[in-house]
Amino acid sequence: MASPTDRSSPPREESLAEELGREVLSVAAQAGGMTVLALRLLRRLFPPRVDGPELLRNLHKMGVRSLPIVGVTALFTGAIMVIQAGVLIRRYGADGLLGWGAGFAILREVGPILIALMFSGRVGANTTAELGTMTVTEQIDALSTLAIDPLSYLVLPRVLAMVAMLFILTIYGDALALVGAAFTGQGLLGIGARTFFNGLVEMVKAWDLINGLIKSVGFGVIIAVASTYYGLSVTGGAPGVGRAVNAGVVASATGIFITDYFSTYILR
Amino acid sequence: MLELRGVSKAFAGPVLRDVTLQVPKGCLYGLVGPGASGKSVLLKLLVGLLKPDAGRILVAGEDVTDLDEIQLHRVRQRFGFLFQNYALFDFLTVGENIAFPLRQLGLTDEDELVRRVAERLQAVALSGFEARAPGGLSGGQKKRVGVARATVTRAEVVLYDEPAAGLDPVTSQKIFDLLAREQREAGATVLMVSSDVARLLTVTDRVGMLYKGRLIFDGTTEEALGSRHPVVKQFLHGEPDGPI
Repeated sequence: MASPTDRSSPPREESLAEELGREVLSVAAQAGGMTVLALRLLRRLFPPRVDGPELLRNLHKMGVRSLPIVGVTALFTGAIMVIQAGVLIRRYGADGLLGWGAGFAILREVGPILIALMFSGRVGANTTAELGTMTVTEQIDALSTLAIDPLSYLVLPRVLAMVAMLFILTIYGDALALVGAAFTGQGLLGIGARTFFNGLVEMVKAWDLINGLIKSVGFGVIIAVASTYYGLSVTGGAPGVGRAVNAGVVASATGIFITDYFSTYILR
Repeated sequence: MLELRGVSKAFAGPVLRDVTLQVPKGCLYGLVGPGASGKSVLLKLLVGLLKPDAGRILVAGEDVTDLDEIQLHRVRQRFGFLFQNYALFDFLTVGENIAFPLRQLGLTDEDELVRRVAERLQAVALSGFEARAPGGLSGGQKKRVGVARATVTRAEVVLYDEPAAGLDPVTSQKIFDLLAREQREAGATVLMVSSDVARLLTVTDRVGMLYKGRLIFDGTTEEALGSRHPVVKQFLHGEPDGPI
């Protein structure tokens, strides 16, 4: 008969509460790790300790190379919104409201959030993979042994570049989404560009644009901290890099939606 | 020059247990032991990449155990380090990789940098490789570039983690001979971790053996080869039967 100390007895199955507890602790540890990383990066901004050439290289890599994908996403987003709104616009003959409706939704919500998600998938994932590979190949440790602070040299330039570039790309994407909406309004509903932009300029306020741009800064910080945190925490070689990229993208998307919820409430 | 006093370190389980070790100035010290016996961890503790759970670490008589990152930068400038996976920066060319530690020490004269890089590449038989990307090199070539980078500053202390791992026997012996020659010319203190015991012992002055996290042997190379300790004897002579 198997005694309680019998080594041959099968391992006890974990209860639901234990499994849930372990998951909660894991999420808390990751959130704590990201907070600590954010504070350590913040400390390096006063006074600024950031590698200038590395910052410029990342601004170019993350910004300029994201222009095509953000542009295409934004144009189609604007167009889709007009297609969806077209039924109601036609039913009520509210042609003048198309510019306001598209502008309000794009500038405040859809533009910043979709561009942030695209940016997370392209730039955030790339950053996690890049830092993750450097971690598993000991390049981060090598920098430390050469008396170089990896956070100032590698991480802070990427974080600053991501925040700055998402802000700029949101302005660019908002503009293209509005152009996409105006063209679709003209082509699909026969609503002229002048009518569209009159509705936009008269009814959409500057605050609507600023509101979306404030959100984009928050999203940029979330993507930057999550992607660099998971990149620096990689363990387990190449498969670990894959897992880190996945975790980074999921954490960024989750963070974007949670931040959006609270910022929408606060900035309403 | 390097000293560990009662150092212990654990991750999921204990990795190093109460290790006390001294590496004299100018000595080429070989550290051996089976896989997962704590050799690489010991090297990382010496340069402050890891902190010990217990014990003290001294470099040239200075206790560096509790130094923060900024203070550690000063200590690390005395070190050269060859990582097991080369750790060449893939965003830099071979020449830039080798020049990198010199730039960090404040050398800005481009002519002097070019000269020093060419001299190091010649020493590791890779002349003309300055503009190549690390990604396009073979394992042996990467290792030699790593050696060039680790030795370019003529550091007082050089740590080598598995300098010949994954290399063919001829290249391995060339690497060990090169490291020994570098050490003699620079008069550096060298701590070398390697699983290639036979070749390692052809160049070392002293040898230490880690087994299950404990330093079970510390002595001259001759003493190591003549040791009657069953674990040391079995490991150094590659005997299949024994306590390991």
